[in-house]
Amino acid sequence: MTTALDTQSGTTATPKEIMATVIANDLRDGEWVEVGANFPVPRAGALLAHLCHGPNMTVMFGFTKAYLCDVPVIEEFAFITDVRAMRWGEAYYPHDQLLSEMRFRRRGVFFSGGIQLDRYGNSNLIGIGPDYQHLKFRGPGGIGTCNATLQNGRYHLVTTTHNPNVLVERCDYVSAVGYGDGSPGFRERHGLPPRGPDSIVTPLCVFDFDEDRTAKVKSLHPGVTLEEVREQTGFPIPDGDIATTKAPTALQLDALRNRIDVIGALR
Amino acid sequence: MADPQMISDEGATAVRQSVVVTEQEALDGLGNGMTVAIGGFINAAHPMALVRQVIRSGVEDLTVVGAASSGLELDMLIAAGCVRTLISPYVGAEGLAPIGPAFRKAAQDGELDLFELDEAQFYAGLRASAQRLPFNPWRAGVGTSYPEVNPRLKTFRDPLRDELLVAVPAIEIDIALLHAAISDRFGNVQHIGTGFGDRAIHAAADRTVVQVEQIVSNEQIKSNPAATSIAGANAVVRTPYGAHPFASHGYYPVDEEHVLEYVGAATDWLKTGSRSRLDEYLDRYLREPADHAEYLDRIGIRQILSLTEY
Repeated sequence: MTTALDTQSGTTATPKEIMATVIANDLRDGEWVEVGANFPVPRAGALLAHLCHGPNMTVMFGFTKAYLCDVPVIEEFAFITDVRAMRWGEAYYPHDQLLSEMRFRRRGVFFSGGIQLDRYGNSNLIGIGPDYQHLKFRGPGGIGTCNATLQNGRYHLVTTTHNPNVLVERCDYVSAVGYGDGSPGFRERHGLPPRGPDSIVTPLCVFDFDEDRTAKVKSLHPGVTLEEVREQTGFPIPDGDIATTKAPTALQLDALRNRIDVIGALR
Repeated sequence: MADPQMISDEGATAVRQSVVVTEQEALDGLGNGMTVAIGGFINAAHPMALVRQVIRSGVEDLTVVGAASSGLELDMLIAAGCVRTLISPYVGAEGLAPIGPAFRKAAQDGELDLFELDEAQFYAGLRASAQRLPFNPWRAGVGTSYPEVNPRLKTFRDPLRDELLVAVPAIEIDIALLHAAISDRFGNVQHIGTGFGDRAIHAAADRTVVQVEQIVSNEQIKSNPAATSIAGANAVVRTPYGAHPFASHGYYPVDEEHVLEYVGAATDWLKTGSRSRLDEYLDRYLREPADHAEYLDRIGIRQILSLTEY
């Protein structure tokens, strides 16, 4: 699937490249980002921000603290455990230490996936089906998303599959909590900081959350219609004056294709 | 230089003992119903020679504590019928198998007692065990499904600030099984790379067995004591290529072809309900080989030598 989109360089960005650009444009210099397992779009987005405007960002890469601005081509590895990704490390993050030291995550930004993401910003990696003892579909488990979405300064939900089975009214199980049941004060009642996810980034659009804690389309990717999003989403999409997602600049697209994603995982 | 032997009160000589043993000897005390932890992380550094010994021993009803993110070593233990309770925040192999197929099958069939938890809660539970406490508190988990689907996680109000927290029970481990790069004969173990969560698993265990790529001299360990990650393993087993089919940092990457052979066999069980392909795999690679050397024979020297990091 490609989107007809002319950037300044005259080439066409794919939906995943647009997603990575959305992520990059949101990140600010000085922030801390962990690049997790099996999640090439946030990896590319974090690196794009680091290379284009974030020389003081810390990118956790292969369980190391890495500075990558002077690396001409950042090789892509299929597995988070690939030791070759540790060559740029300035420090190691032993995993138990990484999951015990929470204070520094105030300047952290996290990206969580899910087998279901819901209207109120919750995500589910546990499973699908009414009976937990006999799930229709057993998910992989929540990994570290429950903790990381709470402890980092802010977070986004990201999915590369935008359909009504993934973007649902309510998750069957909640492994990372957003605005819960959507009722006023849900987070406060559960002792959570007031801010849930900032956005949901998909191959079609970006959702954000307004004061009623409900996902609304913030911007449509170039060439995508609101009707398409409505057909592919399992919760109601109200009409509105909706912006177009900012396309990658020529500089960003060049960095993506020639330094970050040479093998074309996002194409 | 002082005599290396010490003279006891009784006049008998006491000598520092080697802890190097075979994989059979290392797991001599393993019995049904025990709690066994397996180190490593997703596609790397699982103590597979020891995992195969667990499976060969025919032990059942284990509580298996995986890594914070475990891989298909847990899937194999489930497939082989060793597991009653599973404590792990993830079972999969990234792109090779997003979800462990035998894990999916057993969980969906209701045959697994699953201790559902987050990675940070996992370390809180290990920390409680290491500190000999009944639980460690953790902030994340309130308002999620974790305390509902896993009632062993309890939400409570803390007595000092009245904050809503989750009590994570101590994850008390009888035997921790780890894989590392090197050790001397006395159980001073050094990892290459970060060692993932192996230190925390070791600290939560009564007994730790480490399989290593190489046994090295005590002098080599002393040349860099800061690198000693496990100071005092109870037993060390020499197993070159012992993490196969998973990666061993500094030695070899994951054998993707072999992992996919397992994934195919286990997925066949998940999709068709027939165990024939899975049992064929388990027999050939996990049950029949009498020891690590015989396993490597079955993989073949050409395949083993083809695995290189650079």
